[in-house]
This record gives sequence, structure tokens and C-alpha cells, in this order.
Amino acid sequence: MASYDPSFAREVFENVDYGEEIKMCMQCGVCAASCPLSMRMDYSPRKIFVMIRAGKREEVLNSNAIMLCTSCYSCKVRCPRGIPVIDVMHGLANYAIRQGYTPRKKTAVFGQEFWKQIYRLGRIDEKDLSRRYFFADGFTQGIRNSLEMADMGITMFLHKRMKLLPERPIKGIKDLRKMLDKAAQMGKGGGGAI
Amino acid sequence: MKYFLYWGCSLEGSGANFLVSLKPVFETLGVEWEEIKDWNCCGASVSYAGANDLAIKVLNARNLAIAEANGGYDIVAPCSSCYIQMVKVNHEIQEDPELAAKVNSALAEGGLKYNGGVRVRHVLDVLYHDIGVDKIREKVVKPLGGLKVGGYVGCQSVRPYGEYDSVERPITHDRILEALGAEAVPFPKKMRCCGSGIFLPEMEYCFHLVKDILEDALTHGAQLISTVCPMCAMNLEVYQPRINKALGTDFDVPIVYLTQLMAVAFGGDLKHDAALHYNIIPPEKIIQSALG
Repeated sequence: MASYDPSFAREVFENVDYGEEIKMCMQCGVCAASCPLSMRMDYSPRKIFVMIRAGKREEVLNSNAIMLCTSCYSCKVRCPRGIPVIDVMHGLANYAIRQGYTPRKKTAVFGQEFWKQIYRLGRIDEKDLSRRYFFADGFTQGIRNSLEMADMGITMFLHKRMKLLPERPIKGIKDLRKMLDKAAQMGKGGGGAI
Repeated sequence: MKYFLYWGCSLEGSGANFLVSLKPVFETLGVEWEEIKDWNCCGASVSYAGANDLAIKVLNARNLAIAEANGGYDIVAPCSSCYIQMVKVNHEIQEDPELAAKVNSALAEGGLKYNGGVRVRHVLDVLYHDIGVDKIREKVVKPLGGLKVGGYVGCQSVRPYGEYDSVERPITHDRILEALGAEAVPFPKKMRCCGSGIFLPEMEYCFHLVKDILEDALTHGAQLISTVCPMCAMNLEVYQPRINKALGTDFDVPIVYLTQLMAVAFGGDLKHDAALHYNIIPPEKIIQSALG
């Protein structure tokens, strides 16, 4: 019989932002019941936590659950043990991506493009972000994605809900990048994905 | 009262009708504001895919530090995501000296320091607690004649801290609607999530979230839905045709910002002040019929 393997739990405590918080989990399932997308997840947040304790490394880091957080904060508000479940899930997603896992590729790419744009400009330019996200899988797929969503883009433009100015970085972009680089180095588990 | 108005990236694009309508509303209510100099994005809900937690905290701390060094007024964020990101980072820095030291050692790379001395507020908080429904009611010249509005609160404007309203049964949005002369329609899903920042990459799942919210508001009699969040507005309004196509529904519900209704009730111009023509599902007819 396989024995209980605490090595993955230890890895999570040491390397995942807010990872040590799962020590407080009592498996009540309020997070799972509160989550708007838990029915789409292969494992609910509650299950993810117990699987970490049980050493199910591959299953957890490959799980779609860690990428499907809508950041609604219901779990954090309701957890009777005060665990910031959302922050743990975000931490696990970040760690899984850094380790080369991509359980929900589109969502991972969207989030990474989002962050890259912040690093490049200091702000988000929605039209540019969409373009980069649509073209992340190459030119042909990019054209297909753009055509698919073109009606929405045109509608937004016609209703003045698209920033027309070209993308431009904030004045303090160089200093901002230095700050973010330093923070990436100092962060838990040694840095972000960039 | 003076504030820093941190409107964020969405309000310069997809949420433009929020910012356009917010400015005359603040003017009518005598709210003074200035922009945070050279502000940066808050990181919103999805940055964790590309950055660790400390980097996202430092990103927000830069805005806090600039605000603190330039007057230290309360920061008011109309966008729920800007609000939650900033209020969260602010709390954590204020409560954890070790974290504050780490954040400051990164900020020092750009010559900044944050001492934890700024307060972050949501626009609903400022409207309800600093200005108050009585003053809002005083300024109404065109009451919204019993217009039935579903005040959709969503997630990030009140959760997780509940600093100015209940996290489970919020009232501020509804009380402001009532002060405008509208009828705030109660609907149980007013706190359910619309899919937020992952809507675009996870459309097929999130369509169902929005369908449930719209159906619930309509079942309870809403003629239109108001919100204070640019993501809620985007997901509930702009995707409606796609949801209809994918799920066989026939939604045609206008989604407006609370400030657009306020601008109308304060007697503002429907275009210039309320920016109703920015809306993709036109709300003008329903609103005008309520005005009589």
C-alpha cells in the first residue's frame, strides 16, 4: 500500500504564494459550494487541498481547477478557518505554469499576456492585449480568432469604448520594471514567469 | 472633500461610459479629485499567470506610494478590480511589517517608499458614506419614476473585506438607486460572479454564469441592470448576442453604470453627461419612459 507522502505538501508550503495556508483546511467544502465554477472543475478547491496533503503532485499541477478561478472572493469570505482560498489557487496556478504545466492553456496565455503588457507599458491597452492574445498561437490562428471576435471589436469602436490612442508606456516605466524585477527575485519560490 | 481618483485601464476603453458619467456626478456632488500622477495598472484578476504575488503587490504599492507622497488623500476606485487589488495590498502591507519591508526594498529600486498611510475606497463607499443618500436625493431633478432596476453588485466591489457594506447582503447600491427615484428590484443572484477577468478565455463556461444572472434579474422584474464594475458591464452587456446564439436565449437587457443613472437623475445631458450612447444595448427608451 502506498504510504502518505508529505513531500509535495512541503514543496507547496515553501514555493507557492499562500501555500502554507492549506494547513488550516478542515475539509468542510464551503469553498467548493461557494465557487461559481466548481462544477466545471475536475477537482474542487477542497479536493485540491486534500490532494496536496496526499502528495498528488501531477494531478494537482495538471488540474483545470487551479486555472478556473474567477477571483470572486466568495471562498475567502466564507472559509470558516479564514483561508484565503483564492490566493492559494492563484499561487498554485502561478507555480504550475512556472513548472511548465498548462492545465488551461488559453487562460494561462491570457494572464501571461496581461502581465507582459503591464511590464512593457505599465498599463493595459485592451485592443493591444486582445491582439496579442488572439495571435499567441501564430498568425493563421490569430486571423481566425480576430475574425471570430471582429463584430465585438467593431461594436466597441462604434460606441466609443475602445481607446484610440496608440499604446504608450507610463513615464516611470523604467523604474517600474526595476521594482518588478526585484520583486520577482524576492518572491516566494524565486520569481515570476517572465 | 478631496480624493485621488484612480480610474484604471478599463475606464479608458471598454468602461468609458463609467468614467464619462462619473465626472459630472462628482461635480454635482461637490467631490474634488485629482489623478494619481503617472499611475500604473493594478494587475487586475489574471496577472498571477505571469507574476508572483510580491510583484503584483509592488505594482500596487507604487500607486499607493505616489498617492501618499502627493497629499495622501483617500484613493477612490470606480473599477471593482482596481479597488480590490489596491485595498488588499494596502491591508496586507499595513498588517505585516515583514511584507512592508520587502515591498519597500523593491520600491526603493525606483526611489519610492510606502508607509501605509493611504486609505483605498470604492466609489460606492464614497457615494454612500461620505456624501450620503440624503445629499444624493437633494440633487435629483429628474426622478427615475419607479424605473425597475436590478442593482447588480457582483463580487469585487464588496468582497472580501466588507469595509463599507455587507459581503453577503449589500444595500448601498440599492439605496442609491432608490434615492434616484428608481425601484431597486431584489434578485438573489445579485452577488453571483459574472466570470470576471477570465471571461474571454473561458467563454463557454462563463456564458452560463451571465445567463443565470440575467434570467434572475428579469424574473424579478428588472427593466434594466445597473452595475459599478467595468468587467460586469462588459460581460453582461457586450456578450449578450453571443450568449443568445450559444444558449438559445433572447436577452436584450440594457446594462448601465449606476453613475449613468445618477447623471440622468441629476438633470445631465443623456449623451454628454450620462454617455448613454456608449451603451451597446440602448437604454434610452426605457429610461426616458420612466422620466415621463
